[in-house]
Amino acid sequence: MIRRTAFTVGATALAALVVAVLVIWLRPSAPMSPAQQAAQLDAQLRCPDCQGLSVAESRTSAAAAIRSEVASRLAGGQSPDEVRAYFVSRYGEWILLEPSSVAWWLLPFAVIGLGAVALIAWLWVGRRRPAPPSAPVSPPAAGVAERVREEVEALDA
Amino acid sequence: MALDQAQPSRSWPRGALWRRLRWIVVPIVVVPLTAVLFTGFGRDPSVIPSPLIGKPMPSFSLTALDGHTVSSAELAGKPLIVNFWASWCAPCVQEHPVLLDTARRYGERVAIVGILYNDTAEGAAGFLARYGDGGWPDLLDPSGGTAVSFGVTGPPETFFVDASGVVRGKQFGPVTADVVTAQLAALGVKATP
Repeated sequence: MIRRTAFTVGATALAALVVAVLVIWLRPSAPMSPAQQAAQLDAQLRCPDCQGLSVAESRTSAAAAIRSEVASRLAGGQSPDEVRAYFVSRYGEWILLEPSSVAWWLLPFAVIGLGAVALIAWLWVGRRRPAPPSAPVSPPAAGVAERVREEVEALDA
Repeated sequence: MALDQAQPSRSWPRGALWRRLRWIVVPIVVVPLTAVLFTGFGRDPSVIPSPLIGKPMPSFSLTALDGHTVSSAELAGKPLIVNFWASWCAPCVQEHPVLLDTARRYGERVAIVGILYNDTAEGAAGFLARYGDGGWPDLLDPSGGTAVSFGVTGPPETFFVDASGVVRGKQFGPVTADVVTAQLAALGVKATP
């Protein structure tokens, strides 16, 4: 009974999480101004001569060059996706601070899921398979038990 | 022996299962991990493979130090070395003699063009006066847009472009004579002995 309740609670929580993710993902957003688009792109592009900073956060000349390129391409009518694709075509996927493919975000969950499946399979196999019959215990030869007891007592003394 | 048998017999066959599976599990885990670490340590994380290799060279039209405009179209027709550099860049000082020697060894069979990275005409002229001017055009890229179009992360970076204008090789950091010889040989040019 407790197990069934726990299962219901878990399933409900999981369903709620999925719905929340979908709502956040699919919710309609107001169209952004070019400045907002540029700011969002700048935050997604890696500053080439920094350590783990976006071009929005950096004051280096390389970051400034990328920011001005982003602004001029957006002003020239390119969509944010086209601008992003341009930088990927020149610097490689490396220029993006976050992976572009959804698959990369799912990878950790896939690994955890596989691990859970493997663990469950392991435990299940462990429960199903009876323990191998232990070798029949032959009674100790006459006198051995007495000898062991005597030696242990001698050690204790 | 008698004491071993006194232990309660284990209904949990994990030990037996582990003994049976370890010859599979250990290689599955250890071999890829070792391979990843082995290749990971041999690799320079600052070297990012250029997506431009095999693609046409980005076009540009920039002003040279002498005031002329040089466009990428004018440079087509023979193997080309595009060298991004700056007067404030120490490795550029280190590689400069190699480029001078390349111009001397290959002569007219190879074109060289320098593109200044975040630098001024005065700074570049001072560098050339001090370390030697090879005679090839050095172009100013004040907005940095050409460096961005080549995916340059920091000078020096050198691109090797074939006669049809396709990027065939890229060197991160200073070029050496061996790198130049190998890259140009791949483009089908040999140095004058």
